[in-house]
Amino acid sequence: MTKERMLSITIDNKQIQVRSSQTILEAARDNGIVIPSLCAMEHLPPYGACRLCVVEVDGLRGFPTSCTTPVENGMVIRTGTTELKSLRQEILRLTLGEHPASCLFCGEADECKKYQGTIRKVGMTTGCRYCSNDDRCELQQLTERIGLTETSYPVYYRNFSVEKYDPFYDRDYNLCILCGRCVRVCNDVRLNATLAFKQRGKLTTIGPAFDRTHLEAGCEFCGACVDVCPTGALSPKVSKWSGKADADISTTCVYCSIGCQIRLQTKNNKVIDALPDYASSVDHGLICVKGRFAVPEYVHSAARYSNPREMTPMGYNDISWEDAITRAADRLKDVGPDQCLVMVSPELSNEDLFVAQQFARQAIGSENIGSSLMIELGDDLLPFIDLATRTEPFSVMGEAQAILAVGFDSTHGYSPIGIAVKRAARRGAFLATLNSAESNLDMLAEVSCCLDEGDWANVLDRIRLGTLEPSSTKPASDGPDAWGEEVKKIAQAFKGSAGSVVIIGEQVLTSAGRHEILQALLKIREELSCKMVVAHPYTNLCGMVAVGALAGLEPGQAVRKGASEAALPFAPRPIDFTKPRKVVYLIGEAPSSGLPECDYLIYQNALPGGFPRQPDLILPTSLFSEAAGTIINAEGRILQVREAVAPFEDSKPDWWILSRIAEKLGKGKPKYATLSAVQQEGKKQVKGVSDSRKKVEFERVSYAAVRRTDGGTDSGDSRRKRKHARYRGIALSDVVEGMKVIRRNNE
Amino acid sequence: MNNLTKRIESAKEKWEAFQKNKEPIIYIGAASCGRAAGAVQLLAQTDRWLKENELAAKVVQVGCIGPCYLEPLVDIQMPGQPRVSYNNVTPKLLPVILGSHVGESVPYAKAAIGHFGKEPLNGIPRFFDLPMLKPQVRVVLRNCGLIDPEQIDQYLAVDGYQGFMNALKTPPDDVIGVVRRAGLRGRGGAGFPTFKKWTACRNAPGNQKYLICNADEGDPGAFMNRSLIESDPHALLEGMLIAGYAIGASHGIVYIRAEYPLAIERLYQAMQQMRDYGLLGEHILDSDFSFDIKVKEGAGAFVCGEETALIGSIEGKRGMPKSRPPFPAISGLFGCPTIINNVETLGTLPNILRNGPDWYNRFGKEGNRGTKTFSLVGKVRRQGLIEVQLGTSLREIIFDIGGGLQKPFKAIQTGGPSGGCLSEEFLDLTVDYESLTAAGSIMGSGGLIVMDEDTCVVDLAKYFLDFTQKESCGKCTPCRVGTRHMVEILTKITHGEGSAEDLLALRTLGDTIKKGALCGLGQTAPNPVLTTLRYFRNEYLEHIKEQRCRAVVCKDLIEYRVIKEKCTGCQSCVKVCPTGAISGPRSEPHNVDKTKCIKCRSCYVTCRFEAIAGDAIVIGSVEKTS
Repeated sequence: MTKERMLSITIDNKQIQVRSSQTILEAARDNGIVIPSLCAMEHLPPYGACRLCVVEVDGLRGFPTSCTTPVENGMVIRTGTTELKSLRQEILRLTLGEHPASCLFCGEADECKKYQGTIRKVGMTTGCRYCSNDDRCELQQLTERIGLTETSYPVYYRNFSVEKYDPFYDRDYNLCILCGRCVRVCNDVRLNATLAFKQRGKLTTIGPAFDRTHLEAGCEFCGACVDVCPTGALSPKVSKWSGKADADISTTCVYCSIGCQIRLQTKNNKVIDALPDYASSVDHGLICVKGRFAVPEYVHSAARYSNPREMTPMGYNDISWEDAITRAADRLKDVGPDQCLVMVSPELSNEDLFVAQQFARQAIGSENIGSSLMIELGDDLLPFIDLATRTEPFSVMGEAQAILAVGFDSTHGYSPIGIAVKRAARRGAFLATLNSAESNLDMLAEVSCCLDEGDWANVLDRIRLGTLEPSSTKPASDGPDAWGEEVKKIAQAFKGSAGSVVIIGEQVLTSAGRHEILQALLKIREELSCKMVVAHPYTNLCGMVAVGALAGLEPGQAVRKGASEAALPFAPRPIDFTKPRKVVYLIGEAPSSGLPECDYLIYQNALPGGFPRQPDLILPTSLFSEAAGTIINAEGRILQVREAVAPFEDSKPDWWILSRIAEKLGKGKPKYATLSAVQQEGKKQVKGVSDSRKKVEFERVSYAAVRRTDGGTDSGDSRRKRKHARYRGIALSDVVEGMKVIRRNNE
Repeated sequence: MNNLTKRIESAKEKWEAFQKNKEPIIYIGAASCGRAAGAVQLLAQTDRWLKENELAAKVVQVGCIGPCYLEPLVDIQMPGQPRVSYNNVTPKLLPVILGSHVGESVPYAKAAIGHFGKEPLNGIPRFFDLPMLKPQVRVVLRNCGLIDPEQIDQYLAVDGYQGFMNALKTPPDDVIGVVRRAGLRGRGGAGFPTFKKWTACRNAPGNQKYLICNADEGDPGAFMNRSLIESDPHALLEGMLIAGYAIGASHGIVYIRAEYPLAIERLYQAMQQMRDYGLLGEHILDSDFSFDIKVKEGAGAFVCGEETALIGSIEGKRGMPKSRPPFPAISGLFGCPTIINNVETLGTLPNILRNGPDWYNRFGKEGNRGTKTFSLVGKVRRQGLIEVQLGTSLREIIFDIGGGLQKPFKAIQTGGPSGGCLSEEFLDLTVDYESLTAAGSIMGSGGLIVMDEDTCVVDLAKYFLDFTQKESCGKCTPCRVGTRHMVEILTKITHGEGSAEDLLALRTLGDTIKKGALCGLGQTAPNPVLTTLRYFRNEYLEHIKEQRCRAVVCKDLIEYRVIKEKCTGCQSCVKVCPTGAISGPRSEPHNVDKTKCIKCRSCYVTCRFEAIAGDAIVIGSVEKTS
């Protein structure tokens, strides 16, 4: 990276030093000179449409916009002349000529407050007090800053009907001032291009082309447009009328293994919104619909358990925590190690998982620690863990010259990876996609293969062989040379590139040909030295493996400690899910199929699971917005989950519940009273996971002791069900209105 | 180079032979203007006539020679005789002309407008001595209407591509020097010195550079560029080679509006001919210069004539202008240094490089060198495409070339929707970039609309502003919102609902838009209003204070009346009135019901041209009932 030059410019008679890559607006802001602007935004490319940031520059004719003009050495700039001030006022008057602003200058605006309750039920927004964005509106702030006190231009009300038919956010284009921020973020930052300017002159408006709905047009519902809208034109459905948030808490999204940083907006102890963090080095603010819009409705679902309950012949009874813990302890007391099965969710935090495995091993004395992901992955658990624990950092896309995306679509998830791939393709990298249906990367792909999942492994093998030995690109079967051309192109690209990346998407894990596909991918990794990036939904899988929360793994066993220490391969032990048990203890799990028969089912979760067997004991847990902890994302980064609101009613963190039961049982270590106690113990036992600045690396998986599980768990059914995003076993589409719409649309 | 030299030799021989024709040549002006006047029918008719009379003749479709008011033009050149031009040829007149001139070798002097020979001919004046043509200095238009635009050999024969061959022998920097000394300024409207832009591009870092020809010509009614491309496409293409060579570009793009199908066809044809002759592609004429040209059609947006929007359009984006700096010469198409030149600027280059900058400096005046094409339209007697030296006075253009008006002169509008209306006091203004700008107008691409008392300046301002508002791309607030307000106010005024505050509002809005708009479209959109306010303020005041439109144009301020003394009651008007507003029994004076009259002019026209009375219906200002 070349060092930036420092230049000297004069603004308003003040001489300052500025970086050569800056615009006048940026340079001014860095030096405390505020030039009003509306369409300029930090991470958006400069646009120059609102014309409010005009300045005078010696040598440039007219009134250039400071947001688009790069600084040059010796520039002389004036930002606040009388002419400029009055020009800005006139331009703001014109801007307000397209935006209902009846309350802005009204003397009775404050009096109105007592009628606001009924005013807001009116469908048409004619002024600030009727608008969901009141008090948060950038136009209001600007009017004050520029000092406008009246406008005589009649408002041009476009009479658009408010667009409510798409999920997650409403659009009222009567309030749109055409600043273009939404179009720019959608096209230049998210690389999705759903939004565009339509028509021209006074008919100009914004939306998808050809009058399609956002759903039809391929909108990712990432909410980036909503975030940047300065007026109330775009507003999220859930928090529209909540007003300004009280607090902004940075945490990690737990809906998949990427671990994007999100900022939970809270008000009155409720999460009202979740915003991206553009400064995050993990995701760069490119979050997906799940993190952006599917948090409030889940964590504040009306179906949440508030108290422990136990099953009686008359139905469920609410009981106290003391009683609940006693019940659990009674049942677990003398159960034999093999009579018990503990199942842990991959969405649990490192701390929860650490305590869970300690609980199973010490308090119960059992090694039967399983997870729904074992049911879902069946015999492919080891290959999956192999690939997932050695995922390359997402930044490899930045230098990649050839990318193959297998079973990957980033429309409603994994956006940081998806957008990085799009950026690479735009930069000139070779992109190939392999899917069974259209994916959102196809448009940028040079080669796009759409074929049945059962045939993917064959194509992957041919690509591998073709890369190693170009003359061997012959079809494996005797049939017509299907995909021959494509395989050749991909092999050529992979052969010729220094950095090739294979993205393994969710569809691989739910496909019918998964076993063969994973084998083919493993071979590609070994023989072609490709960098593999797995985009999978099992949020804290790396945490699970690191703290040993799977049968056959000890805490810290799988973590690579250092060059000096011997490398020891690891492998979890398979669990027989068909064998009936005395007690099954579900921690954050709600497996829809494959649940073993049992005498007593303990269900520790926040929402009802909807699985066939009614739990005998329900222990309500707090969710990631209410209980702090850490997770390890797919890259091996240790990320913080922070408490944003108090736990719901009487719900408790998972580690706390387990500690109390262990206490009651009187056995073993886990008797933690505080989170930091857990973390301290964890530091001791799980080496290599203490320094959150370093990435966690894993040893290799050992295939030596692979034993096939007996009999089939119907992994086909669980495969299908996994197609829909889940958190703690509950499908987001069961709890979040908008996710239902998306699910319907995808089917 | 030798290859082309041989071809030039043979082309000149062909041309000589062509001039000394053994069989008759019939030229028909069949560019878009000619076709609009009926040239296609004449072509077919000519072919039929020749067949029926078993005569052989060469029929050549030529481009536009300039005087559109004389179209369709049919020229006949008999062996040994000069070429004679016949104007406004109707299907009835054509066989008479052909019969006389082709059949009997006798020019039909009654219908002839001029001839192209050297000696006088039987009372037929020399074409280029006609009052409309004589003051003109035809540099860019030198071949239009005279050569066959579909034959590269004819272009070569008249020294075509000589300029380019001269340029190839000179280092590119020196070519820029020639253009600098010639004082060529951009003919698209801004008048920026061409050499300056070229120098910036040439010096800009980057291996890939682009030359774009702006053939969008969006001004309503402008046809200077269209005529040149249809009539002499190689002039533009040779200019592109010269420019591309000078700036170091390897790719050229002609961005031409899709509404010019004939021009596009001629371009493709001419480009293929260039390729066949080694004038396009790799190592042109065995030199190190490789250049190829692509044609990109516009999609119906006036704003795409603005250079940054044009670049966006070529890149496949929505045509919305971008702020400058950075300028296209440094960072343009696909981020590479790009030069955008107007068709006429490029069409001038072959002449400069062929004859040298000193020759070009003979025309025009200091700081405004050379010539400019204009479309002279409106209430002048002689309308069409003209080319005069910069520095010619408006008076000379309107009265000498244009033949003056029938009614007294009122105003002249220059520069299209970006320009302004100048009143009688400006008749002695010389046509040059600075003078026009100082008067509040602009040179623009060369539109000149002459008006008499029958034009309402308020209505004209509204027309232009309505155009710019509809074409505004919508990106920046001052243009998108400001022009809308101005149109609303002007509409109010033309409806007789204006107030004195409106005039102040118009000036404030105009000022804001000029200063605040992002691109040239917005920055110049208020000009028609601001100039008419300045020079025709009284007309605005009449609309506002007296609700009177002195030109009798604004519908809400006029009414149709029957002069009872003159009406013979023939009922011709009653038959054509679409709303039944005019009525009356036979042989008795008719009546107009003002509540039903929609002022469609049907009754007025019928009475004037087809009824008995002829002047029984008048259109006048609304009579005030006290």
